[in-house]
Amino acid sequence: MENTNEASRSLASAIDIGFLDPKKAEFYVTAGGFTGLRYEGNDYKRITLRRAFPIGKPSEYISVADKDNKEIGIIRSLADLDKDQYEIVVAELEKRYYSPTVYEVKSVKDKLGYVYMELLVGKNGATYTKNCAVKDVTRNIRLLSEDTLAIFDVDGNRYIVESLSKLDKKSLKRLEPYLL
Amino acid sequence: MKTLIPEYMVSPFETQGIDASKLIYAVHADSSDDSGYLDAYLAVSSDSLYILLGEEKVVKASGARRIVAVYEPKELHVIPLEDVGNLSTERLVSTVRLCSEKDDKTSILLVFSIGYLGAVEKLIKVISNIREGKDPLTDLPVEEELFCPKCGTRYPEPVRKICPKCLDRVSITKRLFSFFGHYKTKVFWVFVTMLAGSVFSMITPLVSSRFFFDEVLTEGGSYYGYILGAVLMILIVRAVNTGLNILYSYVLARTVPWIVQDLKMKIFEAMQRLDVGFYTSKRTGNLMNRVNQDANNIYWFFVDGLPYVVVNLLTFTGVVLVMFLLNAKLAIICLVIIPLAILFFRVLWSIFRRFHHKNWVYHSQLNSLVSDAVNGQRVIKAFAKEDTETERFSVVSGKQTLVDIHTMNTVTTAFPLIYLFMFLGQVVVTGVGGIMVLNGTEGMTIGVLMSFISYLTMLYGPLEFMSWVSNWWARCVDSAQRVFEIIDAKPEVTDPENPVVLDRIRGDIELKDVKFEYDAATPVLKGVNLSVKAGQMLGIVGKTGAGKSTMANLIARLYDVTEGTITIDGVNVKELSLEQLRKSVGIVSQDIYLFIGTIADNIRYARPEATMEDVIRAAKAAAAHEFIMKLPDAYETRVGAGGQDLSGGEKQRLSIARTILQDPDILILDEATAAMDTETEAKIQNALSQLQRGRTTLAIAHRLSTLRDADTLAVLKDGVIVESGTHRELMEKKGEYHKLYTIQLEGLKIINMDA
Repeated sequence: MENTNEASRSLASAIDIGFLDPKKAEFYVTAGGFTGLRYEGNDYKRITLRRAFPIGKPSEYISVADKDNKEIGIIRSLADLDKDQYEIVVAELEKRYYSPTVYEVKSVKDKLGYVYMELLVGKNGATYTKNCAVKDVTRNIRLLSEDTLAIFDVDGNRYIVESLSKLDKKSLKRLEPYLL
Repeated sequence: MKTLIPEYMVSPFETQGIDASKLIYAVHADSSDDSGYLDAYLAVSSDSLYILLGEEKVVKASGARRIVAVYEPKELHVIPLEDVGNLSTERLVSTVRLCSEKDDKTSILLVFSIGYLGAVEKLIKVISNIREGKDPLTDLPVEEELFCPKCGTRYPEPVRKICPKCLDRVSITKRLFSFFGHYKTKVFWVFVTMLAGSVFSMITPLVSSRFFFDEVLTEGGSYYGYILGAVLMILIVRAVNTGLNILYSYVLARTVPWIVQDLKMKIFEAMQRLDVGFYTSKRTGNLMNRVNQDANNIYWFFVDGLPYVVVNLLTFTGVVLVMFLLNAKLAIICLVIIPLAILFFRVLWSIFRRFHHKNWVYHSQLNSLVSDAVNGQRVIKAFAKEDTETERFSVVSGKQTLVDIHTMNTVTTAFPLIYLFMFLGQVVVTGVGGIMVLNGTEGMTIGVLMSFISYLTMLYGPLEFMSWVSNWWARCVDSAQRVFEIIDAKPEVTDPENPVVLDRIRGDIELKDVKFEYDAATPVLKGVNLSVKAGQMLGIVGKTGAGKSTMANLIARLYDVTEGTITIDGVNVKELSLEQLRKSVGIVSQDIYLFIGTIADNIRYARPEATMEDVIRAAKAAAAHEFIMKLPDAYETRVGAGGQDLSGGEKQRLSIARTILQDPDILILDEATAAMDTETEAKIQNALSQLQRGRTTLAIAHRLSTLRDADTLAVLKDGVIVESGTHRELMEKKGEYHKLYTIQLEGLKIINMDA
């Protein structure tokens, strides 16, 4: 453990991760609906926010890049931001990471290795039915974590089962052959 | 003017007061973000962009083509084209923003699901064409039919147009049978011997039970006392039965392997036809599985499965017939038990299938872990992670063991229960039959009863087999479908109908506004313009990921450009004969692959007829001769998988020697000397510079020293050429090249070595 801490310290002194100072950062929403940032005298009119650990640590280590994709800095934790700034950043992250949530798996038909699914998807309770075809199931139906599943259809659309344990029994049973 | 408006979109626009006859192009998309979901129709006329949002009420579901019964519009946005700025798409994780930039202000017009990206990009192209005064539908990629016209099911692979629903298992099996075409006679004899064997199988109980008990052992029987004769007859019948089984197995074994060999050849030939893009989209293990494992699944089904299906069907039918002929009442009692037995077996096999699948997945994971550990031993030991890897293996192995335990528990519990149930059936038949024998009813004798019991046990085998052969067939058909996917796959890079064959390729290369993307919405080249005169050397520099290797791939037509043109000697590469093009372009790349064979074989790969002297000359030019001669078998050293291990630099030199021997008109060096020390690189550079005389050369490198002989240099950044010129011109410009050069020079100065 001591060795690890020492290694971390040595690495930290050699390499600057580029954390953003939340006190100096001012995120804002542009007229066009993008998110901008004023930081250290620069005005970045359109920034991109990306999670370094979107599954394990969605509120920590958020990369902020300019419109040329050059990283400006990293937000260590969203908790470091004040309320207004937090809301702006979270809103932008939710837009970037939006994927329809799967509420129910209505049917799964396996036809010669291709899987046709009828899913009830949506967000915040508003739902709609989506029919999708999935190929290469070992690659395109995969666990992102112990309890979260991603389904990628042939068009590249992504659907997320946020919690397998909260899915109804029938839906879970239909997904079971593809869960490993 | 031609227009493309889907019929189901006309009415929704018209109800909003838009004259649909004025619309030029329309696409279906959606509005999908955290605020909700709506269906979106996007359309463009000569002067406006329309975005109609609403809800579709779809009649057909389950992956079928949308048949929109009703569209309920909610919002309509009409934007004059003059107010629509430059349109672009920004890809998020699952959605895409359609952005419009005008007067330095960017706004988001729509956020839609990533699956509609292709469609929206076509709309953007149409708008661009309108603005440029071109025919709006110019250069639009051909619309692929996405849905099966027969059943409306979504094609999983639109390029292939195979509908899994219509292409049922029967069709695939029929197609598999077409491989038997050349072997009709042998197949005929297989079936004749199978049929004969089945008939003799059915005779055996009659001879060994009914005849022996009723005619030989019973007083008054036609052959009472003729024990020896009867036993001999039983033996002969059995021997003939066995002989017939051996005969059909023999014929089968001599037929099916050839059929599977035909299949494997077809798969391999098909794979050779396919272009690089197909291979990058499929994992190597996946493809290798298709050639080997899937072909073997088909083989075993046809060797084992199908004959047994036929034999068991015949046996079942024959046995039931004979039972009815012997005693109809008892036969009916037997038949009552059969459906229950089938049900039991089917339930059992469906449980097995689930366990089997889990077992297979854990098995694959274990194999991957082992492969990881074996290939990554150096890394594991360097980081002292042996225990961690053992723990990882132990976790997956533990899970597989649990599945094995569940499977075994099920087998050891369920099967005995099923056999007990079947035995009950036998007991019932024995009891009822016994009563009939004692009462002498319906002509029932001991011999007939014994025959009946034998036939009943003969039924259970086919029943059990039939309950799980459908899974075997399903596996075979799944394998066949994967195999046919390769055979049917059409290469994207193909020879034109009338390919141009030039007398000689001089090597004038020109790239005009070349755009390319491996994946949709992830462009690598965004409009590259450059030209190289015949015999000149062009050096291309840029950061990792700038698109340099992609340019090399496009010139050699390993991929086709998304937009723009590449010409060689004024001829579009798409019109040139592929064979001539590939033979005329020699690439030495960072990825070095040595085939299984000798060093000499590998060097001569492009020109097998080259003499040994040529091989040695090429090796010397590539500074490879020295290390080759140090190997015990020198040029006959076996390399490739399982052969001599060579260092990265040594492999690269062999690769250069291979290309030198090819003697191409256009030489592309893609980081060809990256893995070498400076001294070796210098030696190779000298040799290459001799070979480059009169030959067009494109040299791609990070190290600027590699490009010291270049006539012209070009800097590739973010998918475009940002600078080009001679070294002096670029240094004077003090732009990107100057920055790269200065960084490298500073790096050398730090260790007191000026370039």
